[in-house]
Amino acid sequence: MARRLGVYVCECGTNIADGVDIDAIIDALAPVADIEVAQKHRLLCSGDGIEYLKQSIEEHGLTHLVIAACSPKQHEITFMNACSAAGLNPYLFQMVNIREQCAWVTPNKEEATDKATRQIKAAIARVRYQIPLQKSEIECSPDVLVIGGGIAGIKASQLLAGPNRKVYLVEKTSSLGGKTKGFGKLFTHMDSGPALIEQEVQKIHDNEGIEVLTDSEVEDILGFFGNFEVKIVKKPENEELNVGVGAVVLATGFETFDPQRLPQYGYGELGEVYTSLEFEEMNLSTGPTGGKILLKNGKPPESVAIIHCVGREEKGYCSKVCCMYSLKFARMLKAALPNVSVSHFYSDLCVPGKSYQRFYEDTKAQGVEFVRTDKTTVAGGDTGLTVTFDDNAGSQGQRAVDMVVLIPAMEPSADTQKFAEMLNIERDEEGFLVEEHRLLSPVSSSVEGVFAIGCAHGPKSISESIAQAEAAAGKILSSLIPGKKLELEVRTSEISETFCKGCKTCLLVCPYSAITFDESKAISVVNEALCHGCGVCAAACPSGAANVKNFSFGEIYQEVTAALK
Amino acid sequence: MTDTAQHTEVLVIGAGIAGIEASLLLASSGAKVYLVEKNSYIGGNVIKLEEVFSNMECATCMIAPKQQELLQNENIELLTLSGVESVQGALGDFTVRIAKKARYVDMENCIGCNACFEPCPVEVDNEFEEGLIKRKAIYIPCGGALPNVPVIDSENCVRFNGQDCQACQEACMFEAIDYAQEDEELEVKVGAIVVATGFRSIDLSESNPYGYGKCADVYSDFEMERICASNGPTEGQIVLRNGQVPRSAAVIHCVGREEKGYCSSICCMSSLKIAHFLKHKLPEIKVTHFYSDLCIPGRAYQKFYEKVREGGAAFIRATVSEVSEREGGLTVRYRTEDGRDDALAVDMVILARALEPEVDTSRVVDVLNIPQGEGGFFSEKEPDLSSVGTSQDGIFIAGCAQGPKDIPDTVAQAEAAVGRILSVLR
Repeated sequence: MARRLGVYVCECGTNIADGVDIDAIIDALAPVADIEVAQKHRLLCSGDGIEYLKQSIEEHGLTHLVIAACSPKQHEITFMNACSAAGLNPYLFQMVNIREQCAWVTPNKEEATDKATRQIKAAIARVRYQIPLQKSEIECSPDVLVIGGGIAGIKASQLLAGPNRKVYLVEKTSSLGGKTKGFGKLFTHMDSGPALIEQEVQKIHDNEGIEVLTDSEVEDILGFFGNFEVKIVKKPENEELNVGVGAVVLATGFETFDPQRLPQYGYGELGEVYTSLEFEEMNLSTGPTGGKILLKNGKPPESVAIIHCVGREEKGYCSKVCCMYSLKFARMLKAALPNVSVSHFYSDLCVPGKSYQRFYEDTKAQGVEFVRTDKTTVAGGDTGLTVTFDDNAGSQGQRAVDMVVLIPAMEPSADTQKFAEMLNIERDEEGFLVEEHRLLSPVSSSVEGVFAIGCAHGPKSISESIAQAEAAAGKILSSLIPGKKLELEVRTSEISETFCKGCKTCLLVCPYSAITFDESKAISVVNEALCHGCGVCAAACPSGAANVKNFSFGEIYQEVTAALK
Repeated sequence: MTDTAQHTEVLVIGAGIAGIEASLLLASSGAKVYLVEKNSYIGGNVIKLEEVFSNMECATCMIAPKQQELLQNENIELLTLSGVESVQGALGDFTVRIAKKARYVDMENCIGCNACFEPCPVEVDNEFEEGLIKRKAIYIPCGGALPNVPVIDSENCVRFNGQDCQACQEACMFEAIDYAQEDEELEVKVGAIVVATGFRSIDLSESNPYGYGKCADVYSDFEMERICASNGPTEGQIVLRNGQVPRSAAVIHCVGREEKGYCSSICCMSSLKIAHFLKHKLPEIKVTHFYSDLCIPGRAYQKFYEKVREGGAAFIRATVSEVSEREGGLTVRYRTEDGRDDALAVDMVILARALEPEVDTSRVVDVLNIPQGEGGFFSEKEPDLSSVGTSQDGIFIAGCAQGPKDIPDTVAQAEAAVGRILSVLR
């Protein structure tokens, strides 16, 4: 079929008309082949303008359309909708910005007119080769896999499960509750962690939509947003379970820095030096001391040193919650042993937010000492420890204590690494998962349909971890809707079977893992459900086999040539 | 609970980054959203910033695509210049009355060409620019503001004060100026409400020891943000009031912290950001931070601090007792933690003020009947646990209305509120 091109130039009142000579542009288009109609209009985006456009497309039987007007950000959708309404495939339309890019920025009218003419000719040159594209949809599963049965995984599961949506909650240990169930008290209200977990786990068991798989490991995840295939292995029988889900939530938690890496604290050498998690355990009624704070000799300590920021320098980041739980330890000590003396050794107090500083002030008011220092060492024998510190005046001080509690930095868990590798999710240099956008998509990962919540993304409080769990639920509930299909990206990449040499360069560069290798044909294949049309593969392909639809080499070559002619 | 849910529409109060995120996510689920914003523009405090920490991304470039998406989303009814008058009902069935002030400019006809500003005879302080420059009575707050449609400030417009002026109407080629527009009242039914009314920085009293309001080159945090902004009053040129380039600056942290009784979470990072920006624009400038405790929590912030420090910024742990003018500059007097008194001469002082809830929070409290807690921020129902649920079922809080926080935590709460809403209204 012969091409019948329409070119419309918007005056935008005087905004474009004052800055470029529109009549001269239209005259300059006269020699261009296949132009059926080239006209100007006072304001194409107005109601009148859209009506005029639709009528004109139909009247002239246009096959391709170029509009020169404002920024596509403002009205590309408006004009694409007008195309659809007039029966023209909207992907056969190209918009040219001659307002922000010409009329408003190029003061010389002649130069602005020349620039606008070149831009329009470039658009005409490329639009001839554009192909009609259709939006397509795929079926998807509304079900969700949640990995990790800590507080984040529990909360996400509760919100996600419903009458039309099943949640598989997979936990590798024998019980739900994660680290929180080992925290006898939670800051700031000093409520019980085990009691909280008991109550939340009960809600999980009462929810028919949640299938809890404890003692289980996820061995493999294949597929893409809307259609993941998951292999779960349940121990000890190694029973294999295969399920299909639409989305995956990683709630793989944190681990703590090993203080043995820093011999100055004596951990592992000195009997009365404990880590924070060991101190938490000592405070649990189900713990080794039945919830009593005792030295190894069975006596309660008379003095305790709490050393902040253990491993902070090595890790290179502040673990965010340690100041607060260190203060909580002081409260627990004072509540159990009213006469105990507690000294904090810290450099900067990190108590952000509306309620944390008050918790600090209340703790300090109980007679707790705060020593600001950048360097602390612990020495002594099995009993009786000496904490030596550099004070900020440049001299050294000492405190004799019975017990030392070290507050180690938080690190990503081993599972965070395992799933990052399995799903090809980007990690930062500290090993935490990288967000889709650091600020604007805090729970989305670099893989669509895979969400990460809680400490998998970096140190967080319980409250922040729960907010992220709720956020992942928000992202999933708003996109994976039972009975609704998922709309796919239209301008995806395609790899020519003829030209592909099988070098696999595209597999390495694709940020969405959207390209697989067909071993039988020895060529790369694009999965359209995963492709975002970013074009990285097209740029990297040495044989020109990869092209993004409507951004092919041919189109771009024609566009550039016409612009420079 | 789903049995009583009748309405799946949602009211979002506040079109800052939290309100925008919540609205977009709700709309993508198919829910109808009424987004109520008191200003004539959307984007909240974030659009006042030139760059955001810690990767120094351009703030407006970051948020503009979201703003555009919001303006083009058919499921979102944006009500600017609007406030919530009353709310009645419960989860699934709220009746909301909204008062919408007239813009006097037709949103459909106006193309945002700005031709109407120039002929306007009125000049008043531009609040968005912290009063650093003037604006007209018909105006947009800054270049790039969205929606790109001006508003007539009827309090200052001479026509609305009895004079016969139609300068803006005469200048408009699109018949977009409509003096006859009237304030409206709307009533909508919604199933749930998201309160995202945000924050402001505290006002400094006349007796503040930092010389603010008295010494010309003592700037507040937001004044400095606007001076740094390429669409701001100096187009991003860092200059003193006398037009000279500063050779030194002091950033004073924790201004108002003691009075408020809490740490505002983000000021250390935004102070570091300003230092970084100053150094980037003026490589010779000497920047000194006065602080007590550095609060740079999380995995990326300490690296940023180290970078700023390596860039030559000085850090003095001290309490500033006074800032005063001296011949050709300012003097910062301070006492260090070990009790030593000292002073530093600088050209410019920047005050990192405490955050507090946006002023009309207490009005929203009256209307919604949700409690305020520490510092006047909205209280969550389960402190230490879910930070977005309130004592009123169906009413959720997100962003700095709940407490001071950074952008990722704000966005997470907005998405969290949506998670809570969609888990019951489905």
